[in-house]
Amino acid sequence: MQESFLSFLGENLQLFLTYTGVYNVTPGHLIMIVVGLLFIFLAIRYEFEPMLLIPIGFGILVGNIPFKDAGLQIGIYEEGSVLNILYQGVTQGWYPPLIFLGIGAMTDFSALISNPKLMLIGAAAQFGIFGAYIIALQMGFEPNQAGAIGIIGGADGPTAIFLSSKLAPNLMGAIAVSAYSYMALVPIIQPPFMRLLTTKKECVIRMKPPRVVSSTEKIIFPVIGLLLTCFLVPSGLPLLGMLFFGNLLKESGVTRRLAETARGPLIDTITILLGITVGASTQATQFLTLNSVKIFGLGALSFVIATCAGILFVKFFNLFLKEGNKINPLIGNAGVSAVPDSARISQIVGLEYDPTNYLLMHAMGPNVAGVIGSAVAAGILLGFLG
Amino acid sequence: MIKKKTGVLLSLMLLCSMGAQAQLVTSMRINEVLVINEDNFVDDYGKRNGWFELYNPSAGTVNIGGCFLTNDKNNPKKYPIPKGDVLTKIRPGQHALFWADGIASRGTFHLNFTLDPTKENYIALYDSDGKTLVDEITIPAGQRADISYGRKIDGQEEWVCFEKVTPSANNLTLDTNEKLDNFKLNDSIGIGMTLTAMAVVFLGLILLYLCFKGVGNAAISASKRRADKASRETSGKTSGDVSGEILAAISMALYELDEDVHDIENTVLTIQKVKRNYSPWSSKIYGLREVPRK
Repeated sequence: MQESFLSFLGENLQLFLTYTGVYNVTPGHLIMIVVGLLFIFLAIRYEFEPMLLIPIGFGILVGNIPFKDAGLQIGIYEEGSVLNILYQGVTQGWYPPLIFLGIGAMTDFSALISNPKLMLIGAAAQFGIFGAYIIALQMGFEPNQAGAIGIIGGADGPTAIFLSSKLAPNLMGAIAVSAYSYMALVPIIQPPFMRLLTTKKECVIRMKPPRVVSSTEKIIFPVIGLLLTCFLVPSGLPLLGMLFFGNLLKESGVTRRLAETARGPLIDTITILLGITVGASTQATQFLTLNSVKIFGLGALSFVIATCAGILFVKFFNLFLKEGNKINPLIGNAGVSAVPDSARISQIVGLEYDPTNYLLMHAMGPNVAGVIGSAVAAGILLGFLG
Repeated sequence: MIKKKTGVLLSLMLLCSMGAQAQLVTSMRINEVLVINEDNFVDDYGKRNGWFELYNPSAGTVNIGGCFLTNDKNNPKKYPIPKGDVLTKIRPGQHALFWADGIASRGTFHLNFTLDPTKENYIALYDSDGKTLVDEITIPAGQRADISYGRKIDGQEEWVCFEKVTPSANNLTLDTNEKLDNFKLNDSIGIGMTLTAMAVVFLGLILLYLCFKGVGNAAISASKRRADKASRETSGKTSGDVSGEILAAISMALYELDEDVHDIENTVLTIQKVKRNYSPWSSKIYGLREVPRK
């Protein structure tokens, strides 16, 4: 009796052991856990995009706790599990438009409206997307996969998730993590290329202070912006529609509560859910592949191309502008839509050359134009390859 | 007044929603018809009869319950599609198959009329009012057995004969993604896509630029006009309009400014963040008395 009880206990303990993370762990899980810890470290120690890297980093830990696949509905890829339900917002693509709603409600387009030619810098920087697309094709990716990878160059996490969930769902985890990682690393990636491509004389160009924009202009902007861009690229409607809608809530002046909800609790909630689920989707078994490594390489390249394209375009544009109207090429990097980090980089690098030349306000113009540009580019890719 | 406004608003919303519903039903299409069924699809009773398929090309679910099907132009309400059957809700891009067996008692999808193989057949779908024609088709006489007559591409205009019949399925199915194949074949490097897409991105933002350049110019000239108007109004007033007290106050202020007798305040203008160390002793919360509870 005693012996059978002990053997029963022993069998159960043995069975329990097979369910533990220790029993099921693989080197892949450990690597991903280290990556997650690195993200958390970078976010806390250096404050690199902490709002994104903390949820994603912790999500990576959550997603890489090893477990026995016994239908317990705990993994993010198991239908009906809590994480899987939360992940629907990513796979079905409805988190990104809600984030765009919040971005619209918190973005002040005044800099862009007061100096609309800065919009063209936002367009030029989208070359990063298509430069990466070309390289990805050469590396053997299918056109739809190349399009999804290229969008990393738009430096816009929600757009990258939205497009990759439609064009290449199997690569979405790697694309999302890559996009957010490089957005966090903008302060490291961009400055060397900004210094390399500009002369000291160009870096001290002082731009005219932006004029005061009337509230009527601010109200007109989202309406015309939506009509113009979406008539041209209807497939960008989910992102652009919500972006401009959020901005109208802000600028109309009569929907203050809605605007505050959109730019406050709503965007915070979605950011938490998006971050943790994107992080958790990087299960080692799904994530640690050669393709992921390639995507990370291409992501870095796309950021570099986008930065260089923005700066070189400003230099080219300056050839046609009169003295006094010239643009400081240090705001060219802000054409990538990593708002507001890339604009902040323009300011920091600009101050290195002239401590009294404040470029932040000017850089916000191409920065928000980059958001519009990358959403338009995503719409084009979706239309062509979807 | 507020009630009136609310009423108008609600009526508008109701009208819009009715319009949306009607639009969805009217989007339904007769998609494929098999008149002579000799060795083809069997119904749920194991019988072979003529059939036809409705297709929902819209992006929303359409409930065809309450609509009418007919093979008689003079009797649009010949077969009322029963209401309340969950199967009459047709999801976007999905089909509903009706059996023209003349035995409506067999279920929702069994009609009270048949298709005549000896002559041309008319089939029509009417909206729930029995008057609005949603779609109609006349199938030419001389149909061959087990060969259906349907739209070449689901929901589109062109009708052809299908040797491979597709009841409750798409008339045209693709084994490959044509778009991607085209890109692989014609733009393997990606230059075409890059040029096209960058042109569209630039076009979009150039349009925005031109638009807001115009809006900006209009705003600047409007503000100039306002400023001119304001300055004209103020310049029109003579100094005699200003009272002696005001002039004395202005003169005193100018005198004090010149003589630098204005007191100098001990403040520093800074853009640095002012740090105030937290201390419970200076906290207002701890200084407040709690509201007594009853």
